[in-house]
Amino acid sequence: MLVLKNLDIDLFRSEKKTLLGFFSLYTILCIVILIFISYLYYSFQKDLMLQEQRVKLQEYSSDFVFRLKDLHINFDKYKYYPRDEKFKSAIYDSSKKRIFSTLKSNEINFDKVIYITDDKIHFITQPESYYLGTKYIIIEIPEDKAWLENVYSFLFYFVFIALFFMLILGYFLLKLFLKPMKDALYLLDRFIKDTTHELNTPVSTIVTNIEMIKKASLDEKLSKKINRIDIGAKTISNIYDDLTYLTLNNKIISNNKNVNLSRLIEQRVEYFHTLANAKRIDFVVNIKNDVYLFIDEKKLSKLLDNLLSNAIKYNKLSGVIKVTLNEKHLSIQDSGKGMSKHELENLFIRYKRFDSSVGGFGIGLSIVSLIAKEYELDIKFTSKLDKGTKVIITW
Amino acid sequence: MVKKIIFSILIFFVSLNANIYESNCVSCHKKLPVTIDKYFYRYLLKYSSESNVKNAMLEYMKNPTKDKTIMPEAFILRFGIKKPSNLSNKQLKEALDIYWNEYKVFGKLK
Repeated sequence: MLVLKNLDIDLFRSEKKTLLGFFSLYTILCIVILIFISYLYYSFQKDLMLQEQRVKLQEYSSDFVFRLKDLHINFDKYKYYPRDEKFKSAIYDSSKKRIFSTLKSNEINFDKVIYITDDKIHFITQPESYYLGTKYIIIEIPEDKAWLENVYSFLFYFVFIALFFMLILGYFLLKLFLKPMKDALYLLDRFIKDTTHELNTPVSTIVTNIEMIKKASLDEKLSKKINRIDIGAKTISNIYDDLTYLTLNNKIISNNKNVNLSRLIEQRVEYFHTLANAKRIDFVVNIKNDVYLFIDEKKLSKLLDNLLSNAIKYNKLSGVIKVTLNEKHLSIQDSGKGMSKHELENLFIRYKRFDSSVGGFGIGLSIVSLIAKEYELDIKFTSKLDKGTKVIITW
Repeated sequence: MVKKIIFSILIFFVSLNANIYESNCVSCHKKLPVTIDKYFYRYLLKYSSESNVKNAMLEYMKNPTKDKTIMPEAFILRFGIKKPSNLSNKQLKEALDIYWNEYKVFGKLK
């Protein structure tokens, strides 16, 4: 995956899968082409070698035919088959029945003139007349393996070098294909960066000012309105935080310390109280006191915020959110619509949203996954359609 | 009279011992200056396999013509074409089998 790394873009699982698919397909294609070329080269060299041997074999065969003719004429006087130390031979009649053979390899291919079988070269010829009934004469000589060694060593270097060049070509092709995707991602990131920068001041102003308003001194109607503004501002603030976290992902230096998780969860639940109230959602909190975790507080808070806001966002009206904490794990369970198996599998993919009826950019769980990975937290989602989703974080 | 009977019995037994090939082929060919094996190798030279050779011989014996003969023209001019055989197909085939086994090349080469 060096290629992908060098491109310096954050690729998602599905894209990585596509690229990997493309790359393996490309490699297989290259190998198939190389095998084909190698085979052509091999057959060409083999034919060349056989052509060279053919001249010699033709000489042997005409000599053999001459002696066979002589035997035919004098068959009543002697019956010695014409042998030669330079080659082995066999004679077959027109029904391909063996008359006599001194061959080492008896696998005979009558459809060919010259071929290799069992490390032997066979040359088949036909005499002008069927001496002793012979229609086919097979001349056999041992195959000289030197040509094959030459072919193998050539092919080894050829395939190695060609594959190397093809893979380099593949790398550039891949880069070319990725360019539009990379550009699109770059634009999106750029846009988010600019947007977040511009949002910073107004959002902070709204949130701080709302916090400064003493709600007790207001009349009920105004208090309700302020509450709604508070919810809106907190949602924006949350999205803002998420976007900042994502765009500055690699640049945030973790400030790890022992964090009182119990207190932090209580704070975050309190923070989301107004948001939950708007949907008449109740929190059922069961938190063990003084649970500590060595972690960056801001990141942990971000993780909790995302899980809690999801639990609210995807919950039904008048639903319940159960938050349970003990020494080893934290669970947040909602009573929403739940997720299918497919949705569960693609949960952490950035910009992926399953329910467009609720707001959001689809980056929350991607952030959760990043933080969990950094601190080696195990996150497990279980979900039942129409029953709700449960997240268990174990450390 | 007694001599005649003994002679006929003798002939009868000789013909019983002699097979169809000996009595119907060799008996006549013996009279020709060309030995019977020469025909065999001429057929082999032209027809190669057992079935082809036998078929060609069978065809010729049933209906001998100048076109079908494998013997040279000089031979035909001198001795002419033989008469069609009176033997049945089965008998001819039997005779041919014996002829083939007598002169075939298979198993004879050393």
